[in-house]
Amino acid sequence: MNKKPAAAVGRALGAQKRKWSMKQATPWLFLLPSIVILSLFLIFPILKAFEWSFLDYKIIANEGEFVGFANFKEIFQDSSFWAALTHTIVFLLLVLPLNIFLPMILAVLVNQKLRGESAFRVLYYLPVVTPMVVAALMWKMLYSQNGAVSQLLVFLGVYEAPTNLLVQSSTALAAVAAITVWKGLGYYMVIYLASLQSIPGDIYESASIDGASALQKFRIITVPMLVPSITLVSVMTIIAGMKVFEEIALTTGGGPSGATTTLVMYIYDHFRNIDVSIASAAGLVLLLLSVAASLLQMKLTSKREDDLRM
Amino acid sequence: MKTTRLKQQLMLYALLIFITFITVGPFLSTLFIALKSPGEGIYDSTLPRHPTLANFVEAFDKANFSRYFLNTTIVTCLAIPLNLLLSNLAAYPLARMDFRGRSIVLAIIISTMMVPFQLYMAPLYQLADALGLRNTHIGLLLLQVSTAFGIYLMRQAYLRVPKELEESAYLDGANRFQVWYMVALPLVKPTLVTLAIFTFMGTWGDYLWPLLNTTDSERYTLSIGLAQLSQNFDGANLKLISAASILTTIPTLLIFIWLQKYFISGATDGAVKG
Repeated sequence: MNKKPAAAVGRALGAQKRKWSMKQATPWLFLLPSIVILSLFLIFPILKAFEWSFLDYKIIANEGEFVGFANFKEIFQDSSFWAALTHTIVFLLLVLPLNIFLPMILAVLVNQKLRGESAFRVLYYLPVVTPMVVAALMWKMLYSQNGAVSQLLVFLGVYEAPTNLLVQSSTALAAVAAITVWKGLGYYMVIYLASLQSIPGDIYESASIDGASALQKFRIITVPMLVPSITLVSVMTIIAGMKVFEEIALTTGGGPSGATTTLVMYIYDHFRNIDVSIASAAGLVLLLLSVAASLLQMKLTSKREDDLRM
Repeated sequence: MKTTRLKQQLMLYALLIFITFITVGPFLSTLFIALKSPGEGIYDSTLPRHPTLANFVEAFDKANFSRYFLNTTIVTCLAIPLNLLLSNLAAYPLARMDFRGRSIVLAIIISTMMVPFQLYMAPLYQLADALGLRNTHIGLLLLQVSTAFGIYLMRQAYLRVPKELEESAYLDGANRFQVWYMVALPLVKPTLVTLAIFTFMGTWGDYLWPLLNTTDSERYTLSIGLAQLSQNFDGANLKLISAASILTTIPTLLIFIWLQKYFISGATDGAVKG
């Protein structure tokens, strides 16, 4: 009499337990393929790079001794590392103001009520969808002795004879930075455009009634409303700029005489020389810088989302 | 009053056209060089005097760009559906199911997004070598089949799907998989398109990983073929480089024209929400 309900309860519990464990397993079944792939081809190599940066690792022999912080010490004593870091910072300082202001101006222009504004948006976005390899080669042609940029500089009286900006130490980094800015114009324009379109039109109308000029409206209304986008564009530019590679590798290759060797080019050069421990240690330094910038972005982005929610 | 307004409009258009000249000019100049006939000097004139497709034919036939085109297409066509499938499968429980370890998995995935590729390219290269994946299409795919960015982007989309829709499907007796596939997945379609576009752009134009992983010219992608071709950057080769550059860009342009709405809204998806 007593046993029967107990067994029933037991069965029910068993069923519940089975159901429960199935419920536990389901999310992991969904996640399994990605976890396997990401562990193998992303997380494992990242951990390896951490390990190698503390070893005197020989990739061909596939072994290396633990050397502590010796690789980092070597990097920090290497003048070409500091040169690379300086070039990275100079590159960022060249790109950052241009990335903040030029796309903003473009966004304000195409946000006007005019015919064909969507066509202009598309045309300004074209460089964004162009493969970087193609963009780099197109600009390499424009910069060449007979190319349009060199000719234009003669026309403007900057140089007396056509000069390739990419082969001069003093101008090469700026010339590469111009490619990066050109490629990103449309992308950052769209980010600004999204915030511009969220500014209610009646603010402008009441400003017009109060007699504000277009420039005043831009300064008093538009720019303050765009501050969240400005911070976003800045942080994105810093994160992307620290990793700049293709446009340098394909136009100057880090030259002339190291003038465009950034942190990433420094890592790449060491990798090519099979000096993977130094490359890994320098990669770790780059990671720390990226993390700092990314954390900043996350903080700003989440703050922005909070603002939107309010 | 009216004339100043007209003047303003004209100035505005002049400015817009000037900017168009800067953004589109490099494409036109490259196209013009690509169309020049064999006897014509590259800098004799801006426009080609006797436009010809000879350089495109040469790129395709002699410079083996038909092969590179095929390789790139194969890798891209595999990367897009695989990344969509696997990223969505992983994103769904991370957004919608309560389970132990969820926040850890999510934190690990998100934190990998900060890691620059240059940090782990050497170990990945060694691994690909050890697995026999060098000079293979699968080897080129490694980084694209499931991406942290894809998982994060899709998770954000699933978070916005109203819970009530899924609950009513459960009441109708659907299981987790069916609810994902039949209820949630159709609701995140716009983000699927965005992720497809990001995957396409990332794979089609990828340079560094194919550069490391391919030595066999039969396995070159367009980027690598183009970079190799441009090693010999002189007058004779510029027409060929231009033609190959245009060939490499045409598919991205066509897809952009087709899906421009998604491209442009995707930019803010990737930036603000992802």
